[in-house]
Amino acid sequence: MISQFLSDTWLLWVLLSIAGLLWWSARDSQYFSYVLNRFLLALATLLLVSGIVFALMEVLPGDCAEKYIAYKNTQGEMITQADIQAERVRMGLDKSLPERWGRWVTNLTLRGDLGFSCAKRQSVNLALGDRFWMSFMFCIAGLVFAYLIAVPFGILSAFTINKPWTDNNPQHSKTEQLVGTLMLSLQKVLDLLLRVISYLGLALPNFLLALTIILLYVFAGEAMPTGLFSEQWRNVPWFGDQGFETEKLYDFLGHIWLPIFVIGWSATALQLQTVRALVVDESNKLYVDAARARGVDGVALWAGYPVRHSISPLFNSIGFDFQRVFNDLPIVAVVIGLTDSAALLIEALSMTNDQELAAGILFLVALVVIGMNFITDVVLAAIDPRVRKSVLGN
Amino acid sequence: MNALLARFGRKPKLQKNDESYYTAGQLSLIKARFKRKTSGVVAAWILGTLVLMGFFAPFFSPVDPTIRGADAEYRRGAPQAVYFWDESGFSLRPFSYTYTKAKHKIDMSALASGGLDALDAFTSSGALSSSSQNKFVVDEQQRRYLQFFVQGWEYSLIDLSMAGLDLDIRWDRHLFGIERGQIHLMGTDEDGKDIFSRTLHAIWVTISIAIVALAVKLIVSLFVGGVSGYFGGRVDTIMMSITEAVRVIPPIPIYLACAVALAQIDLTPVQRYFAIAVVIGALDFATLGRRLRTHILTERNQDYVLAAQLCGSSTWRVIWRHLIPSFTSYIIVDTLINFPYVILAETSLSFLGLGLTEPVNSLGVLLQKAQDPDIQQNMIWQFFPVLVFVFLIMAFVFVGDALRDAADPYSEKK
Amino acid sequence: MINHNIPENLLEIRDLSIDFNTDEGIVRAVDNLNLSIRPGEVMGLVGESGSGKSVTAKSIMRLAPGNAIIQSPSRMTLNYHDQAVNILKLRGRDLRLVRGDAVSMIFQEPMASFAPAIRISDQIIQTMQIHLGYDKDQARRAGIELFERVGIVAPEKRFDQYVFELSGGMRQRAMIAMALSTKPKLLIADEPTTALDVTIQAQVLDLMLELREQLGMAMLFITHDLGVVSKIADNVTVMQRGKVVEAGSAEQVLFQPQHRYTQRLLDALPHLDNLPEAPVHTPAPLLSIENLSISYPVSGKGRKAEQFTAVNNISLDLPEGQIIGLVGESGSGKTSLGKAMLGAAPISSGTVEYHRTKKKVKFGAEKAIKRKRLARTAQLVFQDPYSSLNPRMTVRDIIAEPLEAMKLTKSRAETDARVIEVARRCHIEVEHLRRFPHAFSGGQRQRISIARALVCRPKFIVADESVAALDVSIQAEILTLLKELKEELGLTILFISHDLSVIANLCDWVCVMKQGELVEQGTVRQIFLDPQQAYTQKLISSIPLLESKEKCPSGSPELLHIAERPMPAVSFVSI
Repeated sequence: MISQFLSDTWLLWVLLSIAGLLWWSARDSQYFSYVLNRFLLALATLLLVSGIVFALMEVLPGDCAEKYIAYKNTQGEMITQADIQAERVRMGLDKSLPERWGRWVTNLTLRGDLGFSCAKRQSVNLALGDRFWMSFMFCIAGLVFAYLIAVPFGILSAFTINKPWTDNNPQHSKTEQLVGTLMLSLQKVLDLLLRVISYLGLALPNFLLALTIILLYVFAGEAMPTGLFSEQWRNVPWFGDQGFETEKLYDFLGHIWLPIFVIGWSATALQLQTVRALVVDESNKLYVDAARARGVDGVALWAGYPVRHSISPLFNSIGFDFQRVFNDLPIVAVVIGLTDSAALLIEALSMTNDQELAAGILFLVALVVIGMNFITDVVLAAIDPRVRKSVLGN
Repeated sequence: MNALLARFGRKPKLQKNDESYYTAGQLSLIKARFKRKTSGVVAAWILGTLVLMGFFAPFFSPVDPTIRGADAEYRRGAPQAVYFWDESGFSLRPFSYTYTKAKHKIDMSALASGGLDALDAFTSSGALSSSSQNKFVVDEQQRRYLQFFVQGWEYSLIDLSMAGLDLDIRWDRHLFGIERGQIHLMGTDEDGKDIFSRTLHAIWVTISIAIVALAVKLIVSLFVGGVSGYFGGRVDTIMMSITEAVRVIPPIPIYLACAVALAQIDLTPVQRYFAIAVVIGALDFATLGRRLRTHILTERNQDYVLAAQLCGSSTWRVIWRHLIPSFTSYIIVDTLINFPYVILAETSLSFLGLGLTEPVNSLGVLLQKAQDPDIQQNMIWQFFPVLVFVFLIMAFVFVGDALRDAADPYSEKK
Repeated sequence: MINHNIPENLLEIRDLSIDFNTDEGIVRAVDNLNLSIRPGEVMGLVGESGSGKSVTAKSIMRLAPGNAIIQSPSRMTLNYHDQAVNILKLRGRDLRLVRGDAVSMIFQEPMASFAPAIRISDQIIQTMQIHLGYDKDQARRAGIELFERVGIVAPEKRFDQYVFELSGGMRQRAMIAMALSTKPKLLIADEPTTALDVTIQAQVLDLMLELREQLGMAMLFITHDLGVVSKIADNVTVMQRGKVVEAGSAEQVLFQPQHRYTQRLLDALPHLDNLPEAPVHTPAPLLSIENLSISYPVSGKGRKAEQFTAVNNISLDLPEGQIIGLVGESGSGKTSLGKAMLGAAPISSGTVEYHRTKKKVKFGAEKAIKRKRLARTAQLVFQDPYSSLNPRMTVRDIIAEPLEAMKLTKSRAETDARVIEVARRCHIEVEHLRRFPHAFSGGQRQRISIARALVCRPKFIVADESVAALDVSIQAEILTLLKELKEELGLTILFISHDLSVIANLCDWVCVMKQGELVEQGTVRQIFLDPQQAYTQKLISSIPLLESKEKCPSGSPELLHIAERPMPAVSFVSI
């Protein structure tokens, strides 16, 4: 009885105990009171997001009762308007929007229940299954890809931004000037080239990019790496008779690089701009000159001073970067034929008008973004003295 | 062009002793700084050319891009090249050749007698199949010369009737055309519509959607940021929580939901076009709204605003004379930087078939066709709009980049 | 005095010319500069902003900004272990020779010259590891020792803190410790005391003198303040617009200046021997302040809102037609008090009342301000000549702002006439009225700011640190203008400043504030020559006055006598 009650309301207890723990720690720690503050703020934002998402899904045509009845209709049953109405009442759809929202939120906070998908005829949690994790991993991988390119090249770009094309220093000899000019031009050209390539990621919409790559496969006469696995591996378990199926892993990697590459590339352009702006900002500050004056130079100077100080704001934006990458994912999923939650989202929105499923996915994305923002805020307050000073005072 | 070349050499410097420097406002200073960014200037020229050609698309297009102007004789046709010379000699006036459709020889009698082989040959010859390339015979003996400022179909050069003004200048001259028939610089699509002309028209449609969307975005952002920043306190807290909540939801799914809802309503293409622009603009207020709020909060504490207050200026005067002008350069730059993103949003929607649809000419619609395997394999020239699109976006990004460096709106100096 | 023998001079600069490649074309920043520093010598490099002194210093460390071009035939030679090193030809790792090994630098803003997110200890240890090859523990011990030496209380604790956790004076001490950590032969100090309060400035100067005596290193001391120079330098070089206008021993330059420019700089210093006589009778007050308190909310909203009391229960009468100086260190509440008189600060209790106005102007905690009525009576001239003028308006529009905002004129022509009249009075050329503020230098901007304040013919002006951001010679011009305005228009001016020398030159009456309280008030003579309160005495004694001292031959610093004035008992304020 009690165990039933507890398992029905497990999420609420988890949330409450986290809040309680934070509150307990916050009594004599400024830091934990900040964390508690952030935690409550995150929960409030989530509540607001759920409201917005829920209200927004109302614009999708049809409701669950209609779909259910329509489904029955295809099974050969005769349907009247009264049946639809009865079904509405049974599902609670005759209630007002706030009331339904309240029930949705209650179910969500009590046991993490995202509702019931009419089109799939199963609970949203079940329909999503691992697919949300799949999308999550795609986005993270895409982000890592973007960072791997954007950070070094953004720094390089910042490094060259205020440099001239030619070396006219009269203190240098003619040969030194020539070599200097060559080096400078090389840097500038490299910077320009990298910028063009990364902006191309923005200018070539990701669906086109995916199409182009698929086209190349077509021309090469090879099988297109759509989906996650090839036909032969789709239903093979990871651990077969001979232990772990390495072949399946290779096949998997051969497929997932495409979506990761596509969404990663389009995310790169923005990241590059951000990194460049941040590093340029920091490198113009006096402390960099002061460090130079102390004889710090080369990598130690760049890595230790402007770059090190640009990391925090970059880290701080991870949550929204995730949102931006996820934003691109649905279309890529359609083109490549993925079956992750982004594809489900597109399906739910534009084909089946499955309000509950779409709301569930959007809410989960928001949850991840807010969660990431919460974590970055808390971590930065712990490790970056500048942030600590601004949020906690001295 | 000379000016362009000149920039690669010695960059013109503003002389400090020049009175024009002293009497130059903020915008002219930004302009002067911008002119020193070579990549930005080049991109600005490309962008300007594209936008101008888009705006006066009817004038620059040799062929009517609608179904009216479709060339029934030249469907699925490859680009027609323009030459100055060939084996038969040089000509100052560029010319093209005459293209005629290759006739498939169909053995009707064999077909009538029911020979399966004949039917096989018939179907595989491509005469019926829509997925193969049409073959055209080039008659190199019949030159067709290009003509300039030719009379063609009538169009509106400038039409402000949409804006409620009674101004509609109509014209029928076009920059170039060709004698006997039509010229298809970039080939035609399956209906025989000219790709080159369609693309030109699409540029302006797409840009105008972006302009409407950005205008809506600006109004909403100004409202949110202004109210939040000016009133502060509780209003600010509430507004910013909502903004924060909107900010975490990925926008494209939201656009999608709205587009699906719009699809339910019976709208004319023009209404649909505006509805989509408004949706894209109205939901994108979060970032700019927040920035404007911060801007107002910092700017409000600037000494010159206090100075205006101590001079006896009323609140409205402070807002109108001091606060709003302080954003203008900022807003212009931000808008320009956001252009590519809005255009991408439009193309994404069109790509999913939820934005604009055929027969409207928008870059999104033209881009969507690129995913058709038939086009990928048989009509590769239909990728021309893709090329234009990439150029357009790149030009916007580079101009935006250079302008941001010139105006530096994001580095708030304390 | 120039010694061409290279081993004798630690640093020798010959024919240094630096051009800047700017938006407005090529600008010459330093023109044919010659300078030499002997071991152990303190060279004062004096000049105003734009004189090229900072660029010179930076180019010694090869830190001149990217758009600076050092023209040939410039030469810079450093005597490093009896070897002549051509600084301008150094490349790569060799640059460390001038960046730390032999030369160190102290910057004007200690806060900005430490990386904010790295502990001070790590930055100092890194420096020592680079130059002295210490290991971590060794460097740490040496660093703490240095901290102790520069007079930082609880050095072990402070060593591991971040720069923003230290107070202003502490930061500059830490910066000095950092500069000394590599045991340089030459210390370049770029305006090291300018950003500090007078009392702290005096402490830091004393510290530098003491260190110089102990370590025997040479110093290139860059400043605009001749008073500071006279305290510390053996030889002085005066620069104006990139050129050296005068050079010689401190005695010679400061007491027998040859060049007009040097004389002008010297005139700007306070002369305590000819302070103005007190007026025979004190005029009636224009403005009365009663029990005024001002407080700001500090942090936290709602339940935990804390209040910071900037001004605590002050009563004060300001006599009409006089310039009243309001002195205090940063954080003393002087600006809040000045703003409260204009109704621009949150008054928590007490009242401000203006007398002799057509309609009664009185406001306070309970009584709301009649903004327009007040605006015609009292105006403000700001500290920062850059942020106080709207960069998007022309000078004419800026000056006309009060007239247009309050609709005081009937026609545009009348407005223009008023603007031109006041512009003439403030020595702004009429042709310049259609320019934008960015076309003007700080001093000219401040004239515009004054013209704006005067255009609606107020009786009272608050000048809030209005000359603090200006060069000494420009300061003098603005001060002259203010005196002129007082004489001609009968203005009452409240002049807020932390700079006692300016107050001494300008004001009739002086009020001293400390931590929100009025400590002392009186005529200039009373305050400067016979201060009653301990705090005022400390302030007055901290003014860097021109001092004559027996110069020791350089290179033998142990013979140096420091100023006659007793060094303040070491009372390092720790946080």
